[in-house]
Amino acid sequence: MADRVLELRGLSKDYPAFHLRGVSFSLRRGRIMGFIGRNGAGKTTTLKSMLNIVHPSAGEVRFFGLDFAEHELEIKRRIAFVSGGANYYPNKKLAAITAVTRGFYDNWDEESYQKFLRLFALDETKTPRQLSAGMQVKYALALALSHGAELLILDEPTSGLDPVSRDELVEVFLTLAEEGVSILFSTHITEDLDKCADDVSYIRAGELVFSMPLAALREKYRAVALTAEQAERFRDGLIGCKRAKEGYTALVERGTLEELGGHVAGLEEIMVHLDREAREDD
Amino acid sequence: MIELLKKEFRLFAHPTCWMFLAFGAMLLIPGYPMYIPFFWVTLGLFYSCLGARENNDLYYTLLLPVRKRDTVRARGLFFACMELLQIAACIPFALLRYALKLGPNNAGMDVNLALFGLCLVLMGLFNLLFLPRVYKNPTSVGKPFLFVSIWVFLYIVAAEVCCHALPFFREVLDTPDPQHLGVKLAVLALGALLFALLTLLGTRRAEAIFEKVDL
Repeated sequence: MADRVLELRGLSKDYPAFHLRGVSFSLRRGRIMGFIGRNGAGKTTTLKSMLNIVHPSAGEVRFFGLDFAEHELEIKRRIAFVSGGANYYPNKKLAAITAVTRGFYDNWDEESYQKFLRLFALDETKTPRQLSAGMQVKYALALALSHGAELLILDEPTSGLDPVSRDELVEVFLTLAEEGVSILFSTHITEDLDKCADDVSYIRAGELVFSMPLAALREKYRAVALTAEQAERFRDGLIGCKRAKEGYTALVERGTLEELGGHVAGLEEIMVHLDREAREDD
Repeated sequence: MIELLKKEFRLFAHPTCWMFLAFGAMLLIPGYPMYIPFFWVTLGLFYSCLGARENNDLYYTLLLPVRKRDTVRARGLFFACMELLQIAACIPFALLRYALKLGPNNAGMDVNLALFGLCLVLMGLFNLLFLPRVYKNPTSVGKPFLFVSIWVFLYIVAAEVCCHALPFFREVLDTPDPQHLGVKLAVLALGALLFALLTLLGTRRAEAIFEKVDL
């Protein structure tokens, strides 16, 4: 309980055309949690509701064991939310944005900031508009880490980045987690999470499907390739069976249909097949 | 609050806010509606709000360790600061107008202390009407400005008509200083009071509205 940096209980938000329904999960210190789901599943709504950027209809959000509504300022000093990259004030120099930002944090560590500038090869005389998407994310991270954020909430930080930049960021996340920083990382690029996540929370159509350690999730499912005849014969035991370039693919639960062979399912396979299964059930 | 106000000056303020301060020089124009030089500041504030929308100012600000209502309060304070700077920037030109002996203004209200008081009311009116509207829907800036500009225009027309139609305006307020100095000082003080009151009301209303807005 004590090492829980984030805890959501029954977080809900009602829009006319979308409902976030009772999302609950928790994140422990020094862990990286991937928050996955297809576009429009409710990832950003959940993150915004956590920070009261949109007003939740119901539910409770606690950071470091503190209620957000009651301890908003203290919590905001200890966390950082990065939505995409530094997509604000695109024509102001980084130095100007930093000069304003640092004033809001008593615990701003200028040495640390300079260290991250060098590490990420950021030039303060540039503007966010002059930075690539990857460098924008790095600048946002440099700001976040220079005020000692203990929890990073990242909304699609690797979307739009090339594979090399994504890999570099994943490496940064791993280093930060080793140093005790917790990361909640919303994305639909599951490949990045395969490389760094400890836990995964999967949201579909506004409802949390599961929140569990990645290792346990991998234990749970196998991905199998099937012929049309097998797909028909084993239909009842298959999860989210769908067409592939050659034949069919599906998930099976560990310990079932062993004769089909298969391999440890990756996050993308799990997400795609579970989504397919849920759509067929709807 | 100080840091938020610094942020308003360093990031939010559009360059026109500073440029328009120089438009106080329009007080030297003979035969001109003298409310207009004071109106320019509202245009600079409008451009700043437009820029803020395009620069994702709200997201940047709300993720800082600040309360939502404090961001509105800082904005209201920034509006008031810029408007008072506009007043201050007009003072030297008003004095210069007297020094150059440009004479009475035939187009409307004379440049005098009462004019400054009436312009403070104009700015307060702008704050009262604009701030709540711009926070009701932060993606819409043009419509609130158009709406408020109509009211500001009507205020200016009404004030200028009063100069011609009402004896008190014509014979007391629309006269060069230091004539009727006591009355004009009272109008200035009343204008300052109304400016503070209307700005406070506008800011409070905007705070209440913005608390309920989902971004």
